[in-house]
Amino acid sequence: MRIFLKVWRQATPRDRGGFVDYTAENISPDMSFLEMLDVVNESLIVKGQDPIAFDSDCREGICGTCGFLVGGVPHGPDPGTSVCQLHMRRFKDDDRLVLEPWRARAFPVLKDLVVDRSAFDRIIQAGGYTSVNVGGAQDANLILVAKTASDKAMDSAACIGCGACVAACKNASAALFTSAKVAHLAFLPQGQPERATRVVAMVERHDAEGFGSCSNEGECEAVCPKEIPITNIAHMNREYLRAMLVTRD
Amino acid sequence: MPSRFRRVLSSSVGTKLLMGLTGAALFVYMLLHLAGNALILAGEDVFNEYSHMLISNPLILPIELGLLAVFLLHVYKAVTMWMSNRAARPVGYLKKELAGHTSRKSLSSSTMIGSGLFILGFVVIHVKQFKFGTFYQVTDSTVRDLYQTEIEVFQNPFWVTVYVLATLLVGLHLRHGFASAFQSLGLDHPLYTRRLTALGVLFALLIGVGLAVIPVWVYFRY
Ligand code: SF4
Ligand code: FES
Repeated sequence: MRIFLKVWRQATPRDRGGFVDYTAENISPDMSFLEMLDVVNESLIVKGQDPIAFDSDCREGICGTCGFLVGGVPHGPDPGTSVCQLHMRRFKDDDRLVLEPWRARAFPVLKDLVVDRSAFDRIIQAGGYTSVNVGGAQDANLILVAKTASDKAMDSAACIGCGACVAACKNASAALFTSAKVAHLAFLPQGQPERATRVVAMVERHDAEGFGSCSNEGECEAVCPKEIPITNIAHMNREYLRAMLVTRD
Repeated sequence: MPSRFRRVLSSSVGTKLLMGLTGAALFVYMLLHLAGNALILAGEDVFNEYSHMLISNPLILPIELGLLAVFLLHVYKAVTMWMSNRAARPVGYLKKELAGHTSRKSLSSSTMIGSGLFILGFVVIHVKQFKFGTFYQVTDSTVRDLYQTEIEVFQNPFWVTVYVLATLLVGLHLRHGFASAFQSLGLDHPLYTRRLTALGVLFALLIGVGLAVIPVWVYFRY
């Protein structure tokens, strides 16, 4: 296969950057999208040029490290798929694809397609954990968790923190990410003690990082590699309302 | 720690809660407004009686002030939110496609600020033309002949066009706003959430087209 690429190149965070055209040749349809970029990069290195920088780690869709826009869609056109799990058979020979980094004030570009997502870490640091010291492991049946609750918590916890939701949102809002983390703990008994302070602190951090607010369009949900639904956002808003109206501390 | 009140006013989620709440209130108002105005189809006497009943009620002033406050809060929050949302993405994309799949992005959802600002401008003109418009009196009584004012305004094809456009934009605004308010307020349940979009379309058509019918009807009748 042959693919024409238009890739965002930016040497440093302060560099102005711009798009550069590349041709990916001799691509197997069985390659993943990142493997295709590896091939391009090898040819660049041979020519003594700087390879295209992009993030990746597990390359099996579970770590959340990879991510950029492929042809105008975060993680590319396949639903529920991170870009490392996107395969070249999805495209046609001689397709033209634009590759761009996530764009958000809170996600400054570090290099080419790599952005700094530490804003997500700071949202977690603001409250996405439980600070109760639980001691040694206790009997699993001591705290009963309903199957439905544990299932829902697991669904929300499936968020891998990739940032595609922010990239897709017209407001660069991280509402989906934040809400997944809020909901995941709100479903479980372990999350109850800090339930109210958590949602308030995480929302505050979310705003301070410069993310926008949610317009309820659901573009995030549609690009999310883990298909985290925006019902999580409704849940977060409910938690927030509860924290504001009935929580006393 | 900022106070709860300040927090609700300023945080992204608090803003959405306020937008949902004020939006829902304005939606209910629009339903009543449509129902009341539809009385024009029942003729001059019924309509004037209805409007007289409204303005002669001592509760009307506090209700109007409350409505104004809700409206202004909705507008103020919408504008500040829109500005901070724009600031959240200083550099845009070269190519951005609709995500498709489960996304609910629509013409309506992408034009909320535009339709909203148009409606804001329209409301100012609308209130001026009717509430503070020409005062006719029904012969031999103190009742205001609002019917006459309405005929006067809608004699002009220009105003008919403006009103039809504005009411259709109200419908467009509600198309997204209806379901969106539920989501913002955290009212989400498998029982009804899936039906909200369709219900929003229904209400958008009812209110948008329903209100648009009135100026057209008056124009062709007189
Ligand atoms: S919610 Fe989905 S798109 Fe957003 S960070 Fe988590 S996994 Fe990525
Ligand atoms: S590299 Fe781990 S999810 Fe793509």
